[in-house]
Amino acid sequence: MINQLRKVYSTLIVYNEGKNKLDQNYKWFVTGNHEVIGIHEDELTSKDISLLEAFLVPYNIELPILTEEEEKWRQVIQSKEPTDNAFELDSSFRFVYFFISENQISPNLFNDAIHELFAKRVPILWKNGSEGIIIEKQQDSDENLSYDQIIDVLMSDLYVNINFFVGPFKEDLKEINHHFETLTNDAKTVFGYTNKPVVTYVDAIPYLLIHQTEPELRDEISKTILQEYLDDEDTLKMIETFVQCNLNISETAKELYMHRNSLQYRLDRFLEKTGIDVRQFQHAMPVYLAMLARK
Amino acid sequence: MAELRLVGIKKVYDKDVVSVKDFNLEIRDKEFLVLVGPSGCGKSTTLRMIAGLEEITEGDLYIGDKRVNDVAPKDRDIAMVFQNYALYPHMDVYNNMAFGLKLRKFKKDEIKKRVDNAAKILGLEELLDRKPKALSGGQRQRVALGRAIVRDAEVFLMDEPLSNLDAKLRVQMRAEIQKLHARLQTTTVYVTHDQTEAMTMATRLVVMKDGIIQQVGEPKEVYDFPNNIFVGGFIGSPAMNFLNGKIEGNHFVMGDVKVEIPEGKLKTLRDQGYVGKDIVLGIRPEDIHDEPLYLKSSPETKFSAHIEVAELMGSEIVLYSKVDDQDFVARVDARFNATAGQTIDFAFNLSKAHFFDKETEERIK
Repeated sequence: MINQLRKVYSTLIVYNEGKNKLDQNYKWFVTGNHEVIGIHEDELTSKDISLLEAFLVPYNIELPILTEEEEKWRQVIQSKEPTDNAFELDSSFRFVYFFISENQISPNLFNDAIHELFAKRVPILWKNGSEGIIIEKQQDSDENLSYDQIIDVLMSDLYVNINFFVGPFKEDLKEINHHFETLTNDAKTVFGYTNKPVVTYVDAIPYLLIHQTEPELRDEISKTILQEYLDDEDTLKMIETFVQCNLNISETAKELYMHRNSLQYRLDRFLEKTGIDVRQFQHAMPVYLAMLARK
Repeated sequence: MAELRLVGIKKVYDKDVVSVKDFNLEIRDKEFLVLVGPSGCGKSTTLRMIAGLEEITEGDLYIGDKRVNDVAPKDRDIAMVFQNYALYPHMDVYNNMAFGLKLRKFKKDEIKKRVDNAAKILGLEELLDRKPKALSGGQRQRVALGRAIVRDAEVFLMDEPLSNLDAKLRVQMRAEIQKLHARLQTTTVYVTHDQTEAMTMATRLVVMKDGIIQQVGEPKEVYDFPNNIFVGGFIGSPAMNFLNGKIEGNHFVMGDVKVEIPEGKLKTLRDQGYVGKDIVLGIRPEDIHDEPLYLKSSPETKFSAHIEVAELMGSEIVLYSKVDDQDFVARVDARFNATAGQTIDFAFNLSKAHFFDKETEERIK
């Protein structure tokens, strides 16, 4: 194919990783054989570019070249056809969406570091220079790190802020393209609500529910539940911490450096004023949702 | 030289959540500066702004003479250690320490020199070919420190590096980090919520609350002269006692109990118009005495109280009691055998106590 293309585009060159640099004056594409080719921009019209992009994968010069396995995943994720039997899985897997600060790190370095954290090389698909997904296969090992730990390890080596949105484990490829779309969209929504670096699909549910609620209803929920506490940042921060501490008074008091009696007193005051006892789960949950709704 | 200057630093999230407000601080070369405060006080955010992991909303940050607000974290010449001392599980100790340098394309010889040097400093020479799984918690934490040391950076930033360790190991690592700082003399900014860690490790400490610096000073200075009720209560364990009362004549009066205020302190209170007003007495547990000799020499601050709980700590006993229905804690010599259920005499050493304005909660100076 390269020879055929060269007949049309005389400036075509093949990128040889480690030997020559990617010239910014060239448009780069990945062929079906995972070769990266470049054609000088002077030789390309916008029509040519559209045509080439239809059968070659545009290559962002910052992104790592896909391995065979990554290519297989990319195809299944982008497929418009049913994906159930696209290829055979050797274990269950999950998508982990990642987002890193823009222009802070080379994706190749990120890949190198991520591969060192898992027993087997994990496929990584970059969407652009700052986001993508890791396809983590389920492994029974006592050496697995949590994603919170992974962030700390990576931050100390790569000096970059990272967010992970961890999806559920899947046993098959059924509707995997849809799952991928939903997961990446959910991740973007959730990171608009929280500063937590790692969010799982379970943690995400309240944020997604609130996000999908009409603004008028959101407003009504926060006003109805929080009443005169709507703008009381101190009390709301206290309740948020209380929820995060599993409604445990001692732990919350310790976390907020507050005497437990003061905390009890402030929770009692909240009950008196609103009729809501956040010490009970069924009351704490709507208050938590109301706090999210006002964000 | 690695001085840091934070000038009018402010951090605002989502347009209206202010995490750090008007933070001004000069961190001296070779200093071990500890940022301490309760959860949500802005200490980690401040550290992350120094690291470049959080954008600074307002203000200027200087490392040396250079303004670094817009300098990428990797170009700030800093090394970071975080709470999770996790390591790459499939790499041996040598490669865990070398990996950051490999990513930065350091030459092999240079990497080896730096890793060997860090291993020697941390006593890890015999463990270089071990995987993390074969290391104890303390050894892993030392490797995590090693990963920072090999950077040979101008500034170390540590975010609660000991909080995931058990109590015994935490004490041990505290000492190791201090020894390391004494040896390397690298300017260090250390974040913790643990006041004991702050007191024992800091050259200077910065107490924070709600994104605002409450006090900056050497540990002893902050302990002995807290700026306000928050600092007095946060620094020290058991915490400083705060008792509400009134100034009447020469006395601080709590219900039926009157204690005489030393002349110097009384003059300050009088000069500032606190006579007849409600104020707060702050007194540390070790400044409440039950020794017969002290009671005899200080009849003017003596009162009786019922001991509700007595906790024997070895050479000392911590007594929980009440005066005028207000709780207080005393840390007294165990030789005098105070036990729960007794009613005994106590005396305040008011020369070491402080008075605080009830409304502003500031120490009356």
